[in-house]
Amino acid sequence: MSQQSSRAGGLFGAALMSPIGILYLCFLLLPIGFFLSLSFFTYSAQQMYVAEPTLDNYSRLIFDGYYRRIIYDTIRVSLVVTVITLVFGYALAYFLTRVKSTWRGIMMFLIIAPLMTGVIVRTYGWIVLLGTDGLVNAILVWIGIVERPISMLGNEKTVIVALVHIMLPYMVFPIFSSLVAQDPHLVPAASTLGAKPLRTFFEVTLPLSRSGIVMGSVIVFTMTSGSIVTVELLGGRDMTMMGQLIYQLILSTFNWPLGAAVAALLVLCQFIMISYYFRKMRRAY
Amino acid sequence: MRTDPSETQNVVAAARPGRAVEAPKVDLSGLGRVAFGLMITLLYVFLLAPILIVVFASFSPTMSNTYALSQASLHWYREFIGNSSFVSAFKFSLLLALLASFFATIIGLLTSYAIVRFLGRARTIGQSIAMLPMMVPHILISLSLLLLLTRFPLPEMSVLVIGHILICLPFTIAGIMASLEGVDPDIEAAAYTLGANRLRVLWEVTVPLVAPGVLSAAIFAFIISFGDVYIALFISGPGVTTLPVEIFSYVQWESSPVIAAITTVQIVMIILFGLFIERLVGLRSVMRI
Repeated sequence: MSQQSSRAGGLFGAALMSPIGILYLCFLLLPIGFFLSLSFFTYSAQQMYVAEPTLDNYSRLIFDGYYRRIIYDTIRVSLVVTVITLVFGYALAYFLTRVKSTWRGIMMFLIIAPLMTGVIVRTYGWIVLLGTDGLVNAILVWIGIVERPISMLGNEKTVIVALVHIMLPYMVFPIFSSLVAQDPHLVPAASTLGAKPLRTFFEVTLPLSRSGIVMGSVIVFTMTSGSIVTVELLGGRDMTMMGQLIYQLILSTFNWPLGAAVAALLVLCQFIMISYYFRKMRRAY
Repeated sequence: MRTDPSETQNVVAAARPGRAVEAPKVDLSGLGRVAFGLMITLLYVFLLAPILIVVFASFSPTMSNTYALSQASLHWYREFIGNSSFVSAFKFSLLLALLASFFATIIGLLTSYAIVRFLGRARTIGQSIAMLPMMVPHILISLSLLLLLTRFPLPEMSVLVIGHILICLPFTIAGIMASLEGVDPDIEAAAYTLGANRLRVLWEVTVPLVAPGVLSAAIFAFIISFGDVYIALFISGPGVTTLPVEIFSYVQWESSPVIAAITTVQIVMIILFGLFIERLVGLRSVMRI
C-alpha cells in the first residue's frame, strides 16, 4: 500500500474507534474520576457535597472500627473466594483441555450456562438449595447427620460457597486459554528428559499458564470485592461487605463523599492485589 | 491467516475456533485419575445444582420448595403472569437488553474491525482498553452514571442503556474479533482493487463474512444485559425497573416459588439462546475473556 493510503487507513481506523472512545471517555473514565474525587469533599445533607477539600472521609474509614472491620472482611472473603476458585477453576480448565473434542463443546456449555443466567438467578438458586425446606437439608436429615433442618442461610460460609459458584466460570476460561496456547510438545519433551508426570505439571504446565491465572484471579477478585446482591441475600445481618456499604451510604443516607471514599479504597485494594499478583508471578518463575 | 508471535502470548487471542486444540497431557496413575474424575464430576454438580433446583422448585404445588414431581403444578407460573409488576419488569428488561445489545454490537463491530485491521502494533493496547469495563467493578460504573444523572439533565433510560452498553462491549468486541481474525485480508484487498471504498468493503464484504459471529455477539450481549443487576440497581427508579432488580427487592423480604417460576422462564430463554449461539459459531468463541 502506498504511503498515502496507509495514512488514510489510519484515519479510517481512528474514525472506527471514535464511538467507543467518546463513550468510554464521557461515560466511563470522566464520571468515575468525578465520582472518586468526591471522596475528598465534605458531606452536606442539603446539597450532596460541598467542594471543601478534606481527608475526613478517609480517616473515618481507617480509624473507625466499624468501617475497618468491613474493609478487612471484604479483603479476606475476596481472597478466600479467589483462591478456592483458582484451585477448582484450574481443575476444570485442565479437564476441558483433556476431554475428547466431541464432548468439549457441551462441557464448556455447561460451564458457561450458569454464568449466562446472571447473578440474581444463581443467588436465588442457593437460597432454594440451602433453605430450611431445601434439598441439602432434606438430604442431611435423610442420611441422619442432623435431626431437624438446620439454618444454613445468613452466614459467611454460605456467602463464600455462593460466590465461588458465581465466579468459577470467570476463572476457568482465562486458564483454559493459557493452557491451550502452550506448545503441546513440551510435556512429552519433559517426560523424555525423565520428569515424572506431577513434576512436569508443576514445573512446566503450571508456570506456563500464569497469564491465565493472573487474568482469572484479577477478574474474580474485582467482581467478588464489589458484590452486593449475593452478600445481602445470603449473608444475613452480621455480614457486610464494601459493596453493600457503598450501596447503603449512597442510596439510604445520601452520603456521597463517604461512599466515594469507600469505593476509592475498594479500587485501591484491587490495585494492590493486582500489582502484588503480577510481582509474585514474575518472581516465582 | 496471519501469524503474529505476540498473539500466542495473549490470553484473549488464544484458542480461536478452528485451531486444533491440543492440551499438554500428563498421564496420571489409576488412583489419581479416579480422584480427578470424581472431583470434576462434583464440580459439575456444584455448578448446575443451584440452577436445576430452581426449575424443580417452580413446579411446586405449595409455598414450600417441594420436589414431588407427581404433584407438579403450574400455579406459580399463573401467579407470575398475573403479577403486573413482574410482567412489566420482564418487558422492561427485554426492551433494555434489545437496545443495549444492538448498540453494543454496532460499536463492538467498528472497534474490533479497527483493532484487527488498523491498530498494527498498538493492537494489544487497544484490546486492553476495550476490556476496561470488565476490569472495573460494576458498582463503580453504575454509581458514576448515577452521579452523572444527578448533575446533568439526562433521561434516565438513556443512561441505563449506556451503562448496559458499557458492560456488554467487552463481550461483543472479543466475540467479533474472534470472527474477524478468520477473514482473509486478501479478500478485502481484492475488493479495494476493484474500486470499493473502505466503508463499502466493511459493509459489503467483511460484515457478511462475519455475520454469524456478529449475531452471536449480539445475542450474548442481550444475555449479559438481561442478567445484569448492578447497573440497574442504582440507575432505575421505583416502578420502572429491570427483572433482576425487581426479583432482588422481592427476595430481600420474602421467598416464594413465584420467583422460581420467573427465573425458570429466564433460564429456559437463556439456554435456548445459548444453544443457538453454540450451533452458530460455538459458544466458546463468543465467551472469550
